[in-house]
Amino acid sequence: MKSTQYSEKVLDHFRNPRNVGVLEGEDVAIGRVGNPVCGDLMEMYVRIQDDRIVDIKFQTFGCGSAIATSSMITELVKGKTLDEALQVTRADVADALDGLPPIKMHCSNLAADALHDAIKNWRSGKKLTPLSAEQAAAAGTSCGGVQAAEAAVEAMRQAVSAGSGALEATPSAVAVEGAEDFKGKGVFTQVDDPAALRDKRVLVLDKGPAAARLALDLTRVTPRVVYVTELDTLALPEELAAELKRSDVKILYKSRLLAVRGEGEVEKVLIRDLDEDTEYELFVDAVVLLNV
Amino acid sequence: MILLWMPARPCGSRVGTMTSSSEPVTYLDYQSARPVDPRVVEAMLPYFTEHFGNPASLHAVGDRATEVLEQSRAEVAAFLGASPEEVIFTSGATEANNLALIGYARRNRRSGSHVVITEVEHISILNLGKFLEQEGFRVTRVPPDRYGRVSPEKLRARLTEETILVSVGWANNEIGTIQPIAAIAEMLVGTGVAFHVDAVAAEGQIPLDMSKVPVDLLSISSNDIYGPQGVGALFVRKGVRLAPVMIGGGQERGLRSGTENLAGIVGMAAAARIASQELPEESARLAALRDKLIGRVLSEIPDSHLNGHPTERLPNNAHFRFEGIEGESLVLSLRDAGIAASTGSACSSKTLEPSHTLISCGLLHEEAHGSLELTFGRFSKEQDVDRLMEVLPGVVERLRRLSPLYRKK
Repeated sequence: MKSTQYSEKVLDHFRNPRNVGVLEGEDVAIGRVGNPVCGDLMEMYVRIQDDRIVDIKFQTFGCGSAIATSSMITELVKGKTLDEALQVTRADVADALDGLPPIKMHCSNLAADALHDAIKNWRSGKKLTPLSAEQAAAAGTSCGGVQAAEAAVEAMRQAVSAGSGALEATPSAVAVEGAEDFKGKGVFTQVDDPAALRDKRVLVLDKGPAAARLALDLTRVTPRVVYVTELDTLALPEELAAELKRSDVKILYKSRLLAVRGEGEVEKVLIRDLDEDTEYELFVDAVVLLNV
Repeated sequence: MILLWMPARPCGSRVGTMTSSSEPVTYLDYQSARPVDPRVVEAMLPYFTEHFGNPASLHAVGDRATEVLEQSRAEVAAFLGASPEEVIFTSGATEANNLALIGYARRNRRSGSHVVITEVEHISILNLGKFLEQEGFRVTRVPPDRYGRVSPEKLRARLTEETILVSVGWANNEIGTIQPIAAIAEMLVGTGVAFHVDAVAAEGQIPLDMSKVPVDLLSISSNDIYGPQGVGALFVRKGVRLAPVMIGGGQERGLRSGTENLAGIVGMAAAARIASQELPEESARLAALRDKLIGRVLSEIPDSHLNGHPTERLPNNAHFRFEGIEGESLVLSLRDAGIAASTGSACSSKTLEPSHTLISCGLLHEEAHGSLELTFGRFSKEQDVDRLMEVLPGVVERLRRLSPLYRKK
């Protein structure tokens, strides 16, 4: 079945999603699952009074069925008690939508999981806050898995409560595999003239303000600058951090540069997503590891 | 282009209602499939009923089929700047690619066991690469630059004593980037390494002249020049040796057994004739539509980006990335508005993997998810651009409002 062969119900909820938005207040619980890397991220906002869901809203980044399942579950549980809402399963969501293509069944999992996550957070007294832009970018959790999502949210929460503690953490000094071999062949430890990297895909490793300033400089000669930091926030002077976020630099939070790869010259890097504990390759032309 | 197609009507009208009506479809997905040109259909029709012969037969009806077959071969050869005996008809470009890669690798194994392709090839070549690895060949995949272009120097650096074959697509079927095929071909002259080019995305849009470019093997399909589906051809330069992949009655110089699909071949020849005649004017016309669309999208939709090369791209291809939204929901929304488009998003694929082409250009998975591919063709009109732009900015804005990821800069 084609991924777009959706039932009329799915299409209706995709076209006219119910209960889109966010809720605020002491009586609101938030649940969050998914991973932008996999193409979906869901947030459920549930207003709870006397153990009953009196209002519910959602925001979803994802495909048609991800949006439709989010919308449907809000309709299914509005007015229900928390215990009743917890009884709503993935299958219930899919059934209510007259079924989903097999390859899209995980979307119904996501919707149910996001709701259950919100209720669980409410009962455990855990308060999530709406994602900031950089948190959204760092909210890497495994594709469709609530366990990993919880772990990631937990990590995010701890980082937030740790406050400035996280800011003082220094980037890992672990050697990057291949960095020595590719020196002069795409790995730079200093860049005197950014023009040398004109039009290149450049990865700049977080080494503090000097690296951040270089990343900003590079945006004048190339549209593709990726700034990789192991932290979940920018450990930079406030103004510099703000400037970096506003710029065209793509920031990868909670990411560790593991290896530089290529044949004869730098062609790609291996990055570990520290939230998910997964690794992936990114195609780049140059890697800047400043000596600071 | 106008098709009679009625979008499904929404059942409710609540938050964020989208309009949907019975407007005809604006088709902006020529890369996926093209209609057969009515002139081609007309040329084909007699060969289903009246002139139904088998070229292998010894009687007059068979002779006539042979004549038409060879005439068609000459027309396809002319389209490629080749000699008729260098054209082998197949069931399509996938089969042509199979014959080229498997046929060449097997026939020339004694010379070496290394094959070079690129990271941005069409899936049919990528999977042939995997197949050759299973057959014991070593296959190297050369990465492209951020526009999806592979440099001849980078390719040369991958050649070894063992290399027997290099295969590069003339243009990328997704993002439309045109490869420096002439430069790569020149670089390979005298090395003893054969050069195969999958020209499906490029054919009919840019000139493919085998008398000027020293390519050894070149795959084309009929549908991509508005001919029928189920026909294609492989150009095999004189002197290049292949082992057949299809075994049977020995048709097509023994390289492609099976009775010829005569009506299809006649259609492909007619399509090639029309494409040759109309190419210069048609390319310029499509490039103007493309440039108008690219200009409007980038200026009217915030946080939108062009994928692929700014100038070295197919005249009919515009490929974008929109921050904060996902491609399948974009295509579904356009479908509701009566617009047919494509995406490189994982959520629209069978494997849930994002486009390997976009990843090879250096995009992160989350970036590749938000892509939109728009391809024009022979029946596209300037109004199609206007129609799309009436809808697209609103669709992007609506999906961004739904998305927890999009934050204005």
